[in-house]
Amino acid sequence: MPVYVYAIVSRSHPQKLDGLNGVGDPPSELRTVVGEELTAVVSDAPEELRPKRRDLAAHQAVQERLMADGTALPLQFGFTADDEDAVRTVLEERAEEFAERLQALEGCVEYHLKAAQNEEAMLRQILTESDQARRMNEEVRSGRAGPDLPLALGELVSKEVEARKERLAAAVSEALSGFAREESTYKAAGDDFLSVSFLVDRDQEERLRTAVQKIADELGEDFDLRLRGPLPVYSFV
Amino acid sequence: MSVVPQGGGAVATGGGQATGNLYDVVELLLDRGLVIDVFARVSLVGLEILKVDARIVVASVDTYLRFAEACNRLDLESGRKAPSKLTDVVGEVTEGGARGKTKGALSGVAESVADALKAGVQESEERHKEPAAKRERPVRHRKD
Repeated sequence: MPVYVYAIVSRSHPQKLDGLNGVGDPPSELRTVVGEELTAVVSDAPEELRPKRRDLAAHQAVQERLMADGTALPLQFGFTADDEDAVRTVLEERAEEFAERLQALEGCVEYHLKAAQNEEAMLRQILTESDQARRMNEEVRSGRAGPDLPLALGELVSKEVEARKERLAAAVSEALSGFAREESTYKAAGDDFLSVSFLVDRDQEERLRTAVQKIADELGEDFDLRLRGPLPVYSFV
Repeated sequence: MSVVPQGGGAVATGGGQATGNLYDVVELLLDRGLVIDVFARVSLVGLEILKVDARIVVASVDTYLRFAEACNRLDLESGRKAPSKLTDVVGEVTEGGARGKTKGALSGVAESVADALKAGVQESEERHKEPAAKRERPVRHRKD
């Protein structure tokens, strides 16, 4: 029977899973596959699994519980093994590698930061600071411009937006990297200029939070910083 | 999940807490995490839709026109305050508001962000001085 695999922990991890459900509808029951040194947290694999809120939340809840009691290697969402034996085989074959990673991640959590600047505010800045963009904008608004001018204005502004986003991302990221052991960058989408995960020692958490708050205060109300954490160390396994 | 508006900026913090907001961390679960290649990845119907949302907007005529329209709609007179506000903040910090008071990592943070932003403003001013004729036509940037 196929099993859904959530995470790998050391055998000495308490693995308190009471009150939690696995993925699937109706929710599957969580159990463990115990190897020599390592344990995998699994459940029956549902026949159909989709990245819906319910199943993502179930996967996440297991990680958060394991994280609260020690170090865990969270699997990516959606992995199943043919049966418990297949899980046991992986636990044995890659025991050394997993144990090493568990040790390296001990006492660490992940924080994820997304940051955006309100687009209108950014465009205002661009028009205020660039004489050229402002002139072009005024000409387009006057209605006398040819069809090429809106495109040229848009191109100029679009490039400026990208350049500003890059600078903001680099500045914020650099300001925080001192609190992290490692960092992992994601593509920022929409108005976001930054999407980054930090691997943080538990004793640095408060300093990271304070630093993010300070940056947010400094940047002002046109900016939106979303710091999530502590999270399972997805980005650093 | 809590949103803590302090001073000018807003920081939303908090862990996923399963029932909380997964929206900002969903790519962590879907794109990162331990991958065990001998296991099967269940087919994730609907995943593509999530990915489209996260796609970065590439330079295109549509993007240019959207930006141009957004600029045309701006009322610069009434909104003058918004941009100068950031400049004020940047100015204050670099002129030494934070310097000296809190030595150590945190004052370093404030200065580096402010400096980088300030440098950015100057850099972009330089760039705008290029003659318009040198700029490439937008059409050439299309990625087909």
